[in-house]
Amino acid sequence: MLSFLIAEIPRLFTIYNVILLLKAALTTLSLSAVGCVIGLFFGFLLSIARLSHRPIFWPLKALALIYVEILRRVPFLITLMIFFFGAQVLGFNISALAIAFISTSVISTAFVAEIVRAGLRAVKPSQMEAAAVMNFSAWHSFWHVRLPQAWPLILPPVFGYFVLFIKDTALASQVGVLELTQAGKILNTKGFSASLVYGAVLILYFIISYPLARFGAYLERRLGASRHSRPRRAI
Amino acid sequence: MHYVLHYGQIAPYLPYLIGGMAISLALSVLSFIGGMVLGLFFAVIRNEGHPILSRLVRIYVAFFTNTPQLVQIYVIYFGLPDFGILFSPFAAVLIGMTLNAAAYLTEILRAGLGTVHAQELDAAETLGMNRLQTLRHVTLPHLFRVAMPALTNQYILMTLGTSMASIFGVEELTGRAFNINSTTFRSIEIFTTVAVLYVVVTFIATILLALVGRWAFRARVPVL
Repeated sequence: MLSFLIAEIPRLFTIYNVILLLKAALTTLSLSAVGCVIGLFFGFLLSIARLSHRPIFWPLKALALIYVEILRRVPFLITLMIFFFGAQVLGFNISALAIAFISTSVISTAFVAEIVRAGLRAVKPSQMEAAAVMNFSAWHSFWHVRLPQAWPLILPPVFGYFVLFIKDTALASQVGVLELTQAGKILNTKGFSASLVYGAVLILYFIISYPLARFGAYLERRLGASRHSRPRRAI
Repeated sequence: MHYVLHYGQIAPYLPYLIGGMAISLALSVLSFIGGMVLGLFFAVIRNEGHPILSRLVRIYVAFFTNTPQLVQIYVIYFGLPDFGILFSPFAAVLIGMTLNAAAYLTEILRAGLGTVHAQELDAAETLGMNRLQTLRHVTLPHLFRVAMPALTNQYILMTLGTSMASIFGVEELTGRAFNINSTTFRSIEIFTTVAVLYVVVTFIATILLALVGRWAFRARVPVL
């Protein structure tokens, strides 16, 4: 059997197939990256809403809490399916790739919001009190006092989440997005052995993810104090 | 935009869905237990085993945490038959999830083991405990107390991960949702119902695990 597989390798790695795999790898990477960047933006908005004390923000606070608590407990596959069929029902004619981008953003917003909130909360209240004493406006104390101290606590876990999410985007193959797993499926359907194709896909995922994970660990060491940034409570 | 939601049409399928939920839970619990056993073993090897074994565990953890669970199960379910090893869908998913969980749990437990103070171990030695007693009375209680939030998190993520068993034809919650979807075509209703079921189950799991952590290990885990 092994000799068959080895004989198959040169047939698998033709220019055409390699380009297919590399393009797919790029899609995989961008799915996670776009999801995390958008997630970071909306996650900030959500956690600012959750951390505010003004009564006007109460409904917003409740909404943010419900969003974060619910979206973190729904499997990515189910979210994908809801958006997939939801787009059909509402009559939007959008591609599977767009649906995957929307679902990754929606899911990662919930997860990143929790990381951002933990980071912002880790800044000592006395810092904000000092800012208030010095007559900083709310915006100034957030931008010049809170954020610079919270940033090193937020960035490493968000990066870690981005690397984790690269692996979750494999599920986007279920709605037909041409990412790495789907490319593996296509090659398998073309007649290449499953063990060879999926083995190659596994290795490609490893090549993408491992350096990023190492870089994340470096970031965590470099910025330090990563211990405080993790959410204390379980999900 | 002329779609009317009909939750009534899928109401009769609710017992069927809850049966699927039981299979999902069985998958997650079994793979969590398997992963814990393997993970504890690996964590101890990684911390104080032979350097070569320790290096092997490191490679294992790096490989399994840096590749998607879905593709790992693909290799087990579709790839291994090339070598004459056949698994049923349930077994393939269970093995894949266990191996994957073992890698993540090794990291969590290793971090927990690192927080056991050397003085505590010295004290246990002074009291004349042997290695097994030290493990049972000193290391493990401390380990679980520290690692409980991370373990709960991992369990919840694994429960969500069981949804990919549907791709291999295991009829668990998501698999049954796909079945109902193809008989009734009430896609939105069915998938939102399933999402609610997942939320409920993970909430219950969070609360239960927090209570267990408080009761058994006096872990300081907020219940909600």
